[in-house]
Amino acid sequence: MSDIFGISVTALQAFQAAINTTGNNIANASTPGYDRETVNLAANPPQSNGTVSVGGGVSVTGIGRAYSQAATNQLNQSQSALGQLNALQNYSTQLDNLLGTTSGGLSTALQSFYSAFSDVANAPTSTASRQALLSKAQSLAGSFQNTSSELDNLNQDVNTRITADVTQINSLAQAISTVNKQIQVGTAQDGGQPPNELLDQRDQLLSQLSQVVGVSTTTQADGTINVFIGNGQPLVLQGQVTQLTTVQNQYNASQLEISTAAANGNVISGSITSGDLGGLLAARNTVINPALNQLGQVATAISQTVNSQQAQGLDLSGQFGAPIFSVSAPIATASKLNTDATSATVSIANLGGLTSDNYVLSYAGGAYTLTDQTTSSDVTLSGNGTAGNPLTAAGLSIVLSGTPANGDTFLVQPTAAAASSFKVVMTDPSQIAAAGAVQASASNANTGNATISNPTTLDAANPNLLTAATIRFTGPTTYTINGGPAQAYTSGGNIGFDGWETEISGTPATGDTFTVGSNVGGTGDNSNALLAANQQSVGVLSNGTTSITDAVSSLITGLGAQAQEINTAQSAQSAVNSQAQASVQSVSGVNLDEEAASLLQWQQAYQAAAQALAVGSSLFTTLIDSVNGTFT
Amino acid sequence: MRVTDSLIQSQFLAAVSSLESNLAQTQNEISSSSSFTTAAGNPAAAGAVNNYTQALAQSQQYVTNSNAAQTRLSTEDNSLSQVQSALQSLRDLALEANNSGLSDQDRSAIATQATQIQNTLLGLANTQDGNGEYLFGGFSTGTQPFSLTSTGATYNGDQGQRMVQIGPGQTIPDSDNGNAVFQQIKTGNGTFNVTEPTGAPANTGTGVVGATSVSNPETYAAGNGQYTIDFTAPGTYEVRDSTNAVIDTGAYASGGTISFAGIQVNLTGAPAAGDSFSVAPSTNQSLFATVQNFVSALQPGSDSAASLAQMNNGINGTLNNIDQALDQMSNVRADIGGRLNSITTQQSVAGTQQTQLQSNISSLQGLDYAAAITTLDQQNTTLSAALQAYAQTQGLSLFNFIK
Repeated sequence: MSDIFGISVTALQAFQAAINTTGNNIANASTPGYDRETVNLAANPPQSNGTVSVGGGVSVTGIGRAYSQAATNQLNQSQSALGQLNALQNYSTQLDNLLGTTSGGLSTALQSFYSAFSDVANAPTSTASRQALLSKAQSLAGSFQNTSSELDNLNQDVNTRITADVTQINSLAQAISTVNKQIQVGTAQDGGQPPNELLDQRDQLLSQLSQVVGVSTTTQADGTINVFIGNGQPLVLQGQVTQLTTVQNQYNASQLEISTAAANGNVISGSITSGDLGGLLAARNTVINPALNQLGQVATAISQTVNSQQAQGLDLSGQFGAPIFSVSAPIATASKLNTDATSATVSIANLGGLTSDNYVLSYAGGAYTLTDQTTSSDVTLSGNGTAGNPLTAAGLSIVLSGTPANGDTFLVQPTAAAASSFKVVMTDPSQIAAAGAVQASASNANTGNATISNPTTLDAANPNLLTAATIRFTGPTTYTINGGPAQAYTSGGNIGFDGWETEISGTPATGDTFTVGSNVGGTGDNSNALLAANQQSVGVLSNGTTSITDAVSSLITGLGAQAQEINTAQSAQSAVNSQAQASVQSVSGVNLDEEAASLLQWQQAYQAAAQALAVGSSLFTTLIDSVNGTFT
Repeated sequence: MRVTDSLIQSQFLAAVSSLESNLAQTQNEISSSSSFTTAAGNPAAAGAVNNYTQALAQSQQYVTNSNAAQTRLSTEDNSLSQVQSALQSLRDLALEANNSGLSDQDRSAIATQATQIQNTLLGLANTQDGNGEYLFGGFSTGTQPFSLTSTGATYNGDQGQRMVQIGPGQTIPDSDNGNAVFQQIKTGNGTFNVTEPTGAPANTGTGVVGATSVSNPETYAAGNGQYTIDFTAPGTYEVRDSTNAVIDTGAYASGGTISFAGIQVNLTGAPAAGDSFSVAPSTNQSLFATVQNFVSALQPGSDSAASLAQMNNGINGTLNNIDQALDQMSNVRADIGGRLNSITTQQSVAGTQQTQLQSNISSLQGLDYAAAITTLDQQNTTLSAALQAYAQTQGLSLFNFIK
């Protein structure tokens, strides 16, 4: 008789636990990281009365957690990849908005500047057109400065977010380590039964961590896990937490790198390729800095070509043209880790060879190596680094202040500072060199019909450039320059002397003379301005194959393509992540309809068990009543 | 697959957010009427649009340039046409002055008019453009190019010729230097010039040089163009070359033609024995010197037949020079006309090119409104369907049925 009571009580307890579990599931239906729990029931062993064995009721063997390690790992990985792409997309979209517009911005400023040069060519003595050119030059400089300061802001933002990420990683790692210990203790206390809520909590911490940085884990026998980041750098290992810190880049104090506080502050930035942190580092290295360099390359090209054209012409007061723009020269920074104080100075040797990449110059075993940071390949160097024989490569000329210590390295940034330092240094519009340096004239006493073309300046540095030279025809097919040796004349052939070149065509008569000399006073000449106005379409970069217009177009296309690629990858990864989430949810999530059904099921089971108890009680009463009747 | 409530929520939110973002993108395209707003929308097209935009701006600049050149060239053409009418008046004066029977007073009046024409010509040669630049100064546009002297005018400019870019690789001069226009005018008939001897003794006869021409260019080119026609007697002449060798002799009658070495010279009047005429290749002479010479030729002198002949020779020389100058002006104006034609052609080419570039840009970046509006409509429908579907399924919960 006592059996029915015992059995019913086990059932009531079990169903109570089941209802509690279902209630808990419902309560946590929206709790992030909560895994649906189920009651594990088992029939109690039967009690034998000698002839038959009757079941002994039910007992709760444990509360199960609906959990798939595989699905969870997949979700964590997908979250790391998505976190990386989200961070990248944030910056590539900002850059695309900044530079990827075809109207306004840099393109327009550039076109207005060169058009203004044409206007000066149309009215070379007009102060208004010259002043307008200087204003356009100012707005071009402003455009470069604004864009590069926006890019600097993005780099600042990257630094701020790196610092925040590192703080978050440290606190998550600490929390994981703490939960690890609680799980270890809890598992031991409950006789091997895992404390589900603690596991959920740890999984949730891992999930948060995987959004910040890609992680891998191993599970120990005692229920604790070890967490690794990057190339297997331990973050949580056997209860030990490695604190990460941010340190300044060895070359550039304004860029933060990630380091493990232990092991002498190893910089591990290079191995962090996923999660928000990986995305920030990638945005800096593949989106922001390359854009800054390319912008600098265009700025350098404009400044160099405009200034050198200026130097070939004469301004309103007959002086050779002063520079209109100035940009910072390439920067070479010695590594903080260098063991001696040797410094490097870099200048541009050849605009056509200049790239938008950064380089690392290293000195080891008595030899210099220059490595392109973008392609990671070595560039052929010539020279020995002395002022007399500088190291030359990639359009650069590098001079070192001495012999560096073995293992010293220098970061060479040919164009990184150019855009931000691009400014107008000319203030007096009369200094614009619209006129050519030399002019030609034919003697009025000439009897032949030969004509001389306006000479062009080939070498503005020639000291005799402005000295008048007389071309005298000693015969119909021979001429001398300043009485020098006779030279053969061909109609339309080039005649060069003292840094200029001109053409005489037609039939000269013996004794005809032509003079080429200074154009000082030729303020109405526009030949230099004409050349300057056309320079935007002249191939000056990439060994003369890329013009300034081309470079800007390819900057726009490149940034756009990068942003598009990142957008596509981000959408794809979002879909993968939704799948991974769905797959985790389908295992671990709470479905309220399901819980409602369970609730009904357990409620009914509970009612039934209670009914069984009531039946037992009534049986007992019946028996007592019968026995009472017998004995009274 | 097992679906959970929080999954439904998060997937619904993700879907709605994506739909709204697409809708915003389409709205942006429609409001900016461009198929992409930043390069990420279509990187290759963005690069091409940038190139086309630059080319368009350049083409527009070429039109600006050619307008500037057109203004200067029209100003120059206008000045030169006024020079032409001044020269015509001068020519009429010279013809009038050549009449015999004019008094010194009449000649003096003509000289005064010629001097006025000289001043008019000077003003025209010192024409300034809208920017205050002297049109005929070459590169020295800030210096007044011509100033009168006792023998003509000095040219203070240079021989530079300013070019203007009116098309890709196409430049044209937007002016001509004053030296080429006003100072380099050939004397005589443009090939050679026949004059009385410059130094003493002057001719004593009344021979006046008439029309001259090259009858045989090859023969003319074989010599050096320097000859002297010497009258050994009133009816006889001999021609000597620059080595003083006699190359031709002949008899002369008034109005007759003397031919030698490919040259024909028409003489009238009666040259005296010992009179001579020199033949020399044409040289460049300033227009202002021509006028000055004319004025000098009109100075009062003796009324002897010989000095009248001398004056006639001088005026005939002036007439030759004026004709050469008129030719020169016509040539320069023809050249300007050619340049103005190139400008017009180039402007029409630029117009076509700009239309083409604009159509290229709009085919790359322009928005297909029909497609965009259809897309917008679809996106709108999808979004409202999604919202409605959510609202309807939200009521579905087993708890609602367990009462």
